[in-house]
Parts: sequence; structure tokens; C-alpha cells
Amino acid sequence: MNWIQVLLLVAGMLLVVFLLRSRRSVRARAWVKVGYLLFVLAGIYAILRPDDTTVLANLVGVRRGTDLMLYALIIAFAFTTLSTYMRFRDVELRYARLARAIALEGAREPTDERSPVSAGEAESGQPTPGYGGSSRPCGARPRRV
Amino acid sequence: MWGIDTRYPDVWSVVPAFNEAAVIGEVIADVRSVFDHVVVVDDCSGDDTGAIAHLCGAHLLRHPVNLGQGAAIQTGVEYARSQPGAEVFVTFDADGQHRVKDVLRMIDRLRTEDVDIVIGTRFADPEASTKVPFLKRVVLRGAVLLSARSRRLGLSDAHNGLRVFNRNVAQRLDITMNGMSHASEFIALIDENHWRVSEEPVEILYTDYSKSKGQPLVNGVNIIFDGLVRGRKYR
Repeated sequence: MNWIQVLLLVAGMLLVVFLLRSRRSVRARAWVKVGYLLFVLAGIYAILRPDDTTVLANLVGVRRGTDLMLYALIIAFAFTTLSTYMRFRDVELRYARLARAIALEGAREPTDERSPVSAGEAESGQPTPGYGGSSRPCGARPRRV
Repeated sequence: MWGIDTRYPDVWSVVPAFNEAAVIGEVIADVRSVFDHVVVVDDCSGDDTGAIAHLCGAHLLRHPVNLGQGAAIQTGVEYARSQPGAEVFVTFDADGQHRVKDVLRMIDRLRTEDVDIVIGTRFADPEASTKVPFLKRVVLRGAVLLSARSRRLGLSDAHNGLRVFNRNVAQRLDITMNGMSHASEFIALIDENHWRVSEEPVEILYTDYSKSKGQPLVNGVNIIFDGLVRGRKYR
């Protein structure tokens, strides 16, 4: 097995572990920033001395520096996709909680006086008439039971 | 038919509903023929689902945007658990595929047995399970076989929408999967919180209507994926 294969596999595994285990923690976010900084520095270096990427590539068993870049890009893309997905899930959850708060705020109790307001009343309350005289959409006919 | 002391004043039924105007009235009337307290969570339907449910005597909550069934159940349970005297909670589908008499049996078991939650199953009785459409049966059974959790908990039908649970479960319930993956999440929560779970054979009424409303089977792929990426700490 080539070194590049080992490196890529390790990167892939780290990606999954890192994202699934420790995301959202302060430490994880800090490491993302450190990683980003290193990425930028490496990018600047690669721009200034493009042939060095080939040297690096040869070191890990890849023929051309361009190929090494491609591999790195694929890893970075996978990372971004997954973290975006995770972040969307978080945002969706908050959005759901916001909508839920609005729904709970605007809760409408049954208007019909038969329904007890609280369980206490229900226990001591008057017998509730059958469902006979209800308005049309409630389909008074007994259903298949 | 039901005497006054069998009105179940401590039971709250939660019915998530999305565009069910055609049947919601009938379903609510059916549930209310036995239970006083019904909460309908209208998941931003485009039709009159909410208005009809309210007219039929349900407590009505309306999501300002469509969030999915899992979110609707969570909303309904949060409302119900804040009501004084609420001790037993039921989740019941709005499309008319569940039977109230199954719920009564499940409530009975919750009260008499040492369990926190009772889930309906289509597959306990071989005769009843053949009423489940063939392909659906294969997929649902496959899902159970694939899920180590369901097997460990001894559940045969994780995706049954009929559930009855006590206050302990309602209080700690926190469904974060908005869409259809909430059933698996329910199982995960049962496992993580060590709730005592049991199954009760129920019959699902596969009417043309409920079939047309049901989720496509391919949605199983989404459910499996969501289960894999579900973070353990989601607060």
C-alpha cells in the first residue's frame, strides 16, 4: 500500500470520528480554525514554489503534485459537505423549536363547553353527552371498531 | 357505552396532522368518543385540517411552518405534558389507520404492568400481519432485523405510530428528527433512557386513503442515514 493511500484513509477516518464525536465543542471549533490556517499557509507555499508539491507528492507515493492537490481537495470537499449537513441539522432543530414555541403560544382550547378545562373538573364534572348532535365534519357515525 | 369513570381524564392523545381535512373530523370524533383530551398539531396544512379538528373538540396547535411529523409529535407532547392532571400520553395517526380500542388495551397495560411505554405492533399476530401490504411488510421487518437496538429491546415494529406512555417518558421526550426518522429516534430514546418498553398487537387499517398518505418505502434510506448521523448530544 502506498503512503498516500494510508494518509487518505486516515484522513477519511479522522473526518468521520471528528465530525460525529466532538463537533460543536469549543476545542473542535478551535482545531477547525487551526486547520484552516495551516491550509492557507500551505496554499501560499504551494503557489510560491509549485514544484515542491511534486516533491511532497513523490514522498508519499504520488507521481504529480497536481494529483496530490486533487486528493486533498476531495478530502476537503467531503469534510465540508458533512459539516454543512450537520450544521443544517442544528439550524433546523432550532428553527423547529422556534416554530414550536409559536405554536404553543397560540394554542387554542376547544371552544365547545363540553370539554373540561382541566382534569380536576373532568373528574368531578358532569356526565358528557354522547357525540350525537355534533356538527357535520365530525362524522358522528361510529367508525369501524 | 362508556360510563363516566371511564372517560380517562388523565389521558391526552396527540394527533399530528398534515393535510388530513378529508378524515380528521371522523378520526377526532372517534378518539373523543372515549377520550376527552385530544391535541391536534396542525403541521401548517394547506387545507382546513386545523379548523375542523378544533370544531370537533380538539385542542389545536398550529405550526407556522411545515416541520414534519416528528416535530409535530414533540409539539403536541410538550403541550399535553404541561396540562394539569395529564398522566398518560397517546400518539395517534391522523389518517384513521389506528383503532381506539387498541389504545384502550395499551392504556390498560401501561397502568397494570411495569412499563413506561407501550408501542403497537403489526407483527405479533401472524394472521393480522398478513394484512400489511407485502412490500411494506418486507421493508418493515427488514428494518427491525437491521436495527440491533430494536432486536435488543425485543421490538418487532419500530415504525408503528401508535404509542402509549407515561409522564416520565413525556417529560423527557425530546424528538429532534423533524421528519419521518422520529420513529427510530423514539427507539433510541427508549434505549438511552432505559425506559421499560413493551409491545401490544394492534391492527392497522390500510384504507385506500391511508395508503395514499403513507410514506414512500424509499424513505427508509433517509431514515437509516439520519440514524447514523444522529449526534448523541443534541441540546
